[in-house]
Amino acid sequence: MSGYSGSEPLGRTAAAEGSTNARSQAASASQSHRLRSGGLIDRQAPLQFSFDGKTMTGFAGDTLASALVANGVKLVARSFKYHRPRGIITAGSEEPSALVEMRTGARKEPNTRATTQELYDGLIAQSQNRWPSLRRDFMSINQLFSPIFVAGFYYKTFMWPAKFWEAIYEPIIRRAAGLGKSAELPDPDHYDKAWAHCDVLVVGAGPTGLSAALAAGRAGSRVILVEEDVRLGGRLLSDGGEIDGMHAEEWVRRATDELAGLPNVRIMTRTALFGVYDGGVHAALERVNDHVPVPGPHQVRQRIWRIVAKRSVVTAGAIERPIAFPGNDRPGVMMASAVRTYVHRFAAMPGKRVALFTNNDDGWRTVEAIQQAGGDIAAVIDPRGKVPAEYQALAELSDLRVLAGGVSDVKGGVDGVRGLVVTAADGRKQQIDADCLAVSGGWNPNVGLSCFHRGKPVWRDDIAAFVPGDCPTGMVMAGAANGEFSLGACLRDGHAAGVAAAADCGASGNAGEASEAGDEVYAISPLWQVKAKGKAFVDFQHDVTASDVTLAQREGFESVEHLKRYTTLGMATDQGKTSNITGLAIMADATGRTISQTGTTIYRPPYAPVAIGALAGHHRDENFHAWRLTPSHHWAAARGAVFVDTGLWKRAQWYPQPGEKDWIESVSREVLAVRNGVGFCDVSTLGKVDVRGADAGTFLDRVYINAFSSLAVGKARYGLMLREDGIVMDDGTTSRLAEDHYFLTTTTAKAGPVMAHLEFCRQVLWPELDVQLSSASDQWAQFSIAGPNTRKLLQALVDPSEDMSNEGFPFMGAREVKLRGGVTARLFRISFSGEIAFEISVPARYGAAMAENLMIAGKPYGVTPYGTEALGVMRIEKGHVAGPELNGMTTADDLGLGKMMSKKKDFIGRVMAGREALTAPDRQVVVGIKPLDRARRLRSGAHVIPKGGIPGPATDQGYVTSVCFSPMMEQWIGLGLVERGRERIGEIVRIHDPLRSEDYEAEICNPVFYDPEGARQRG
Amino acid sequence: MVDYLWNTQSPLQKALVAGRHGVAGAQAGVTLVEVRDLVLVQVMARRGKAADTAKAAKKLFGVDAPNTPKAVAGKSATLVWSGPDQFTVLAPRTDESSQIDAMSQAFSGAASLSDQSDGRCLIRVSGPRGRDAIAKFSSLDLHDAAFPVGTAANTSVDHTAVNCWREANGADGHPVYSMLVFTSFADSLWHAIVDSSLEYGVDTSRTRAA
Repeated sequence: MSGYSGSEPLGRTAAAEGSTNARSQAASASQSHRLRSGGLIDRQAPLQFSFDGKTMTGFAGDTLASALVANGVKLVARSFKYHRPRGIITAGSEEPSALVEMRTGARKEPNTRATTQELYDGLIAQSQNRWPSLRRDFMSINQLFSPIFVAGFYYKTFMWPAKFWEAIYEPIIRRAAGLGKSAELPDPDHYDKAWAHCDVLVVGAGPTGLSAALAAGRAGSRVILVEEDVRLGGRLLSDGGEIDGMHAEEWVRRATDELAGLPNVRIMTRTALFGVYDGGVHAALERVNDHVPVPGPHQVRQRIWRIVAKRSVVTAGAIERPIAFPGNDRPGVMMASAVRTYVHRFAAMPGKRVALFTNNDDGWRTVEAIQQAGGDIAAVIDPRGKVPAEYQALAELSDLRVLAGGVSDVKGGVDGVRGLVVTAADGRKQQIDADCLAVSGGWNPNVGLSCFHRGKPVWRDDIAAFVPGDCPTGMVMAGAANGEFSLGACLRDGHAAGVAAAADCGASGNAGEASEAGDEVYAISPLWQVKAKGKAFVDFQHDVTASDVTLAQREGFESVEHLKRYTTLGMATDQGKTSNITGLAIMADATGRTISQTGTTIYRPPYAPVAIGALAGHHRDENFHAWRLTPSHHWAAARGAVFVDTGLWKRAQWYPQPGEKDWIESVSREVLAVRNGVGFCDVSTLGKVDVRGADAGTFLDRVYINAFSSLAVGKARYGLMLREDGIVMDDGTTSRLAEDHYFLTTTTAKAGPVMAHLEFCRQVLWPELDVQLSSASDQWAQFSIAGPNTRKLLQALVDPSEDMSNEGFPFMGAREVKLRGGVTARLFRISFSGEIAFEISVPARYGAAMAENLMIAGKPYGVTPYGTEALGVMRIEKGHVAGPELNGMTTADDLGLGKMMSKKKDFIGRVMAGREALTAPDRQVVVGIKPLDRARRLRSGAHVIPKGGIPGPATDQGYVTSVCFSPMMEQWIGLGLVERGRERIGEIVRIHDPLRSEDYEAEICNPVFYDPEGARQRG
Repeated sequence: MVDYLWNTQSPLQKALVAGRHGVAGAQAGVTLVEVRDLVLVQVMARRGKAADTAKAAKKLFGVDAPNTPKAVAGKSATLVWSGPDQFTVLAPRTDESSQIDAMSQAFSGAASLSDQSDGRCLIRVSGPRGRDAIAKFSSLDLHDAAFPVGTAANTSVDHTAVNCWREANGADGHPVYSMLVFTSFADSLWHAIVDSSLEYGVDTSRTRAA
């Protein structure tokens, strides 16, 4: 941050300007506050934009803020609470005030900082939080009541009646106070996320960052350099200076070229780092296409980067801080560094007559910047009372008016600053005529990223600022972010950090020497507020004043965390980048503590606002999550199946036929077709695990509550497994295909967790067993074929050599069969529906063909494909438990399967299942439930209350878990978990459903509604 | 008696629309190929039989089976590490049952085999921007130094398991990555990969394993 080394202008020279075309001349003419030369803008490329409906012109290279400055616009926003007129305060991402609504319609985006929005041709922006217009805002009436609108006002005032808060007070308050409004249409743009990897991540491309990236890149490490700006250079683009004997811009150009030429260095501009996570993972937001009206075809608007780095060097610079004094929020009061940025980088004059209020040497740079641009310095107000040595000659030469004391009031309003009042230490007041006030309260190192793992910043008296404390593992801070405020020190610090980070990653190439620049003095005498009558703002975005901070102190909210919550200081979209330190310093003063004792609030990601759309990335709408398709999916889709999401799976729910008026009709038809003939259903979603090895049987004995080592080859058995705590985990059939090969199935929902559980058992609990596991879920297309005509269908499908008789393929048989046409299948005689049923498996590639061939083979018998609803109806009719009953709270006995628990062997969950509460006689167990009124629709979730009981926690005895309309029973039936249910078969209970305001009586019954003897499935 | 046709269907039957998608231009940035007709067998050493398994692999395929995350090309098959004491064998499908039988005999007593020929779908990603596209759905560091030819990884894409390995560079000099995905997820992941590639222009096709 050295002073200007000369008057050489940036960018295009006056000579180049001579060749501009008519359009750009006209554009220049309309920009009343645009300097005739200089700036990193392209005067050949004028851009039209509109703000609040007024069309203006800027140049390529402008931000929206700089273009507004160039057009003499001072008023750009209304404040959050008091609706005070506000202007542009900064020139960076820390901007608290100049928030605008960008774009229109579905692309409307509120709360965009004008200071970071690149200008583009056709840009449309609106001011926000005002009505009917920015100049005449009705709600600015709030200012009249401002004496009562202090911190905590709402909490104190709108307390009674309590009911009114949510219904009346809060909506009204929210409407009156606020930021912009978001679009109400779906965002038409795309967003995505991507990963990047490097050895050394350099965050920020100012002098320190460029120096660090050069060192780490030359040394040979993989470097990623991220910069939120579109250009590299940081403050060098605004403050110039001399590095290695050359002009700073030339040095930036050379550094950029060198970095771009290094194959191991990746430069990411328009990319802001916003989070630091474990394992070296960093999150950054790339604004890929925010600088154009509409992203190009197949382009994303923004992209989230997850950058994995072994080391990070954070060179995020420092943020200049305001001083709290009355009127410090008038449009035209601006940070001194921002004034220099607009003048030097953008050739836009924030004012013609600029006053400077600074408590530190760095602020004095502004004098020369304004003078070089042809502006006047109205006065320099420095509470320290004397001109810094470095600026003495300049002050004398230009006969500067230098005042001791502080700014105690700023005159002006919607048209900006008209003048200011300076009060000296002795109380004497002076009026200053000025149209812009540049303020510097000193610089706060940008410590945010260093604190994301709960590192606490450390106060340094010499620079009156916090510097980073303990950084996240692998991170170092360097340069201004580390409290180094001279250009020479920044370059050296960055270089050293780059060399060290590269070396840590094993890169030892020649990093070269650090570039050299002067070590200018940074002297500061802290000044946080000027105590005078009037609102002195600390947090511009949330309208928190210095007196709000002292009020919080008087009311006992002295901790910084309480201060934050009570006043909302630092809780706005800018997260207090310009306000937090000032606020806590005022609190320190009010409590008589040091700033160090007062401490900082906790820093949390994101460092800068991130759109939810960017965080969602590709995962929206149909891509919200991945999906899984069954092998017969396209076949079912072609037949018009209705699909349901079952976890990630898309399953055919039912197959509507022409003329069917609702889903119940379709489902009932499918059920009756199965019960009276034959139907089939794709059950490939069941989890399937190949369990192999000499000890596979022993392994399954320990996993299941029942025995499997005794299962004969060629047979299937229903198994139930418990969690370690004795609660049921999952069920399914497992078949023994060979001495050392079992084929285990799980429910659809638990396929993943059961596989993980089995692997845990194999790898951790019993590594001594010879067992190998592999998931075969996707290898097989599996269909359930059910109904009295199943055997006839299969006889048409399997090779004539296969014996399909009841003796040849008995209930619970399992073996390979040859199918006509040469395919080999696995056939399991198991039933979920209660009918004669088989499950048939073929390699998934034959899934669609199998569905088609089942239709052909079953055609004479009216074969009907059925979906998950019919499957569910039939399992409820048969009292089979499923997900709603295997709910993570039920025991084997609750499900009526207690007898399956072997007493001859140990198994997972055996001991814990014996706990008193898990064997208590009054547990809720599975029963059947049917309404007495046969026309009544039973609904799951309804509560079971004793007949005549008054519904309440004391009388609640369970609830309905699964329901269906049973075409066999010709009424709604259900399963439920009911206290002592099995002892109460035949009892009439009250079904109470407060959610749907239903109340009726039902009978508790045997859960097996249909064919309780089970004759049909064995026949 | 009716004749039953057993036509096969790829899990990418609908998702893969062969041709050029996304941004137009002389050269597609990404090339996506579904590699069909594979025999794919998971080989898992029996307890204490890792050495026997390695010996059998060497005899059958003429190479050392990988015992770190690598993919090695052997006689008539590629062997990809898939976990401690286990690897996956991929071979072009010629005579499926005799191929499986040969493996069953070779590994008999040493390893358990699990036929996954239909359980996985092989997608190959290449082209000058292939790596950029993959970066959108995979957390793997595919830099030449970190993931040279022959490197393999068990990773996850869209919360599902994927085996990824790097093949020899393509004729155009650009890297080629194989991604073995679960069959039921193939349709979804294919869409995700295509969507990730659209901004670079993408060429999609299917081919028989060779």
